[in-house]
Formats: sequence, C-alpha cells, structure tokens
Amino acid sequence: MSPRRERLSTLLLALAVAVLLTLLPLPTALEPLRPYWVGLVLLYWALEVHEMVSLGMAFGVGLLLDILTGSLMGMNALSLVVLIYLVQRFRARLRFFPPWQQALAVLGLLVNDRIIRLWIASLVGEPLPAWHYWVPPLVGMALWPWLFLLLDRIRAGRRQRRS
Amino acid sequence: MARLSPTGSTRLFSPEGLRTARLMMYLLLCVVLMAMDQRGQYVPRIRSALESLLEPVYHLVGLPSRIAGTLSQYSRAYGEVTAQNQALSDALLRQSAEVQQLQALQQENRRLRALLDATVGRDFEFRFAEMVQVNLDPFSHQVIIDRGSRDGVFAGQAVLDGTGVMGQVDDVHPHMSEVLLISDPDHALPVQLARTGLRTVAYGTGHTAWLLLPNVPLQADVRTGDLLVTSGLGDRFPPGFPVAVVESINRDSGETFAELRARPLAALDRGREVLLVVPRRASEANGAAAPTGEPPEQEPEEGR
Repeated sequence: MSPRRERLSTLLLALAVAVLLTLLPLPTALEPLRPYWVGLVLLYWALEVHEMVSLGMAFGVGLLLDILTGSLMGMNALSLVVLIYLVQRFRARLRFFPPWQQALAVLGLLVNDRIIRLWIASLVGEPLPAWHYWVPPLVGMALWPWLFLLLDRIRAGRRQRRS
Repeated sequence: MARLSPTGSTRLFSPEGLRTARLMMYLLLCVVLMAMDQRGQYVPRIRSALESLLEPVYHLVGLPSRIAGTLSQYSRAYGEVTAQNQALSDALLRQSAEVQQLQALQQENRRLRALLDATVGRDFEFRFAEMVQVNLDPFSHQVIIDRGSRDGVFAGQAVLDGTGVMGQVDDVHPHMSEVLLISDPDHALPVQLARTGLRTVAYGTGHTAWLLLPNVPLQADVRTGDLLVTSGLGDRFPPGFPVAVVESINRDSGETFAELRARPLAALDRGREVLLVVPRRASEANGAAAPTGEPPEQEPEEGR
C-alpha cells in the first residue's frame, strides 16, 4: 500500500463528506451560515499536499458540485479553479502565515469567491441577494483553524495506521 | 515579476506561465459551459443524464431529515397528537361540506355548459409528492420531489402546494424530478385577476417573496389584495388555481403600463408536500409526448 494512494483516499473521503455537508438540509435559521465546505477542504489540501490538487481536479470537483446543487453548469467549477489557482500562486506565503493571518487570507479568498459568483448570477439576470449572502465567508474564516487542525489529525492518523 | 526574466523566449513555458495558461484554459471552458447551459440544448441534456446517475446521493442526503421527521412524529406528546387530530378532523368535516356544495355547483356548471354547447371544462386529478430535503443553489430556483418518470411525472407538469401554484416540472429522472419555481427570473406564468378577469403574465423575479406583473394597462381596475389565479392560457397550468395576491401597484403616468407586484401564495422556499396536477385526458392530450421530456423551449411564454 503506497502512502500516496492512502492520502488520495483521505482526500476523496474528505471531499465526499464536504459534498454531503453542502447538500444536507438545515433549519431555515441556520441556512445562511453554511460555509463553503468543498472550497475549504480543497483549500487545505492545496496548501498542505499541493501535488495532489491540480486545477483540473478543482474543475472536476466543481462540475460534480454544479450537477448536484443544480447551479449553472461551470459556476462552482470556475469558483474552485480560481480559488485553487490563487492558493497555488501564493502558497509559499500562505503556508508560513501564523494561523490568525492565514484565517484572514482564507476570508479574502472566500469573499473573492462570493464576488465571482455574484458577478455570474447577475449576468444570468438574478437580483442582488440579501445581506446574509456575505455571511458564509466569515463562518469559513472562523472555522478555518479548527478545520485545519482536524484535517491534520485525520491525515496523520491515517498515515500511521497504514504504515 | 517573473515574466520579465532575461530569458524572455521561454517565459511561456516557465512553471508560472504554464499555470496561468492552464488557468485561462479552464476559465474559458467554464464560461463556455455556463453559456451553453443557459442557452443551448446539449449541456442541459448531458446534465440531466448525469443527475439521473447521481439520484442515490439525493436520497442519501434526504434521509436524515426523513428520519428526524418520523422520530418527531413518534415522540410527540399524546395530548398534542389528540389536539392535532381533532383540528384535522374538524377541517376535514368543514371541507367535505364545501366539497358537497362544489359538486352541486360543478354539476350545474356542466349542465349549463351543455346548454350552451360549450367545450366541457377539463378535469384534473392530483397526485401527492414529497420534496426531497436537499439544499440546492439558491440561484437555481429549483426543488426536488420524490416522484419521477416511473410515477408518470412529465416535463411541464404543473406543481401546486396546499395554498397555490409552485411551479412546473423541469427535468424528470426515474425516481425524482426537478421543479422549476415560479420565482425563477426566466419563468412566466399566464394569470388573471380573479375579480375582474383581466389577463396578464406574472414573471419571476429571483425573489421567492414576490412576482412582477409589468404589463397591466394603466386604467385597469386593480386593487391591492386582489387575488391572481392561473388563466389556463399556454396549456401548461390548469385555469383557476390561486397564484398570488397583489401587493403594490405602481401607476407611473410616464409609463405605458402599470407595474404590479404580487406575493406568491405557495410556500416556495419552505414547503414539504406538493401536489402534481394530472390532466384526466393525459392519454390523448399529453401522454404520448410527455415521457420523452418535451423541451420547454417550444412554449416561449412559459418555462425557460
């Protein structure tokens, strides 16, 4: 069992969980708080195990998400491709930020993502969304350090068990 | 910048340049896909096929809320259940009295129509369906219901809930289908004012809270609180079902038409159970073309 295959399975598992969390219905009050799970998971992997996350992979995952959430085909794909490109571009800097600064960078990336989506939606003729459209990036930022630790744990655990 | 390196001829093939080129390629691909999904035919068709494959995911995701619903029904206190039962049987009694009255009216109507030698009004049946509790992109204005082509659902079928019109079936899969809500900015619904019979079209706005009726004559007799019902024009929605209540009227004398805003009656964003309208004469009128999923483009006034 090569370590590489083991890690790919970890990534796929995390992505599957993220997709399910995206689709899972929430009470109406909590609905606007839902963070961009798939984006966060891919972001983590692009930072920590960059050789496993390519733009092509981001594109593929995005298309899957588009089909499942019924959004315009290519919208999530575009969002994830841009996100991963930016992470790859500034990876060296992002990795050595202290956690709080990294969380701020994540906020910036997620807000950027929301702006891109808003732009696409307005091209299709959608009206401006309500103010809580901008809440998920904040939730994403708040979750980032914990998600980071959790995924680190899971990856380390799975590596140890296999070797 | 890395681009300004002295070896200018190879900069396109540096890792950085290569990555930018790939980014551009994927972005172009995304934009083309989005345009084709919005306007074309092939991408929606491929997408529909893939969605059919991914059906089990929706059922898996919908499972927790179904289990939670069942559990909460079991765990509800006895007194509460009795009270609810009482309320429901009261409502049933009241409504069956109303239905009796309606039946008499219906027969009278039929007799009068026969006297007038008019075409017989259409009959409809309703079939019950439940929404699959799945979170979709709010920009997509869709809900998923748990009935599909196996249950006789066809594209373009009208969908109601207990209080009003919700939308129409957009895409049919074997065990579930997608319903396009009347709030979609691309959706137009032929309606008429219940009080005066004035016919117009209600457009979706992207907000689930209101519909827009942009072309009502300035002098038309409209008041806030007027009920809008389906007019039956366009042959997709049966006539006479409540759609919305007029909320505001903007009579700007500089404009050609008055602009109405109306609040949909159906619970577009939070319902659970829906009704599918089945035309009685489905076998002759609609049945033959239906299972193949007649593209809604044929009816430019309705649907996408």
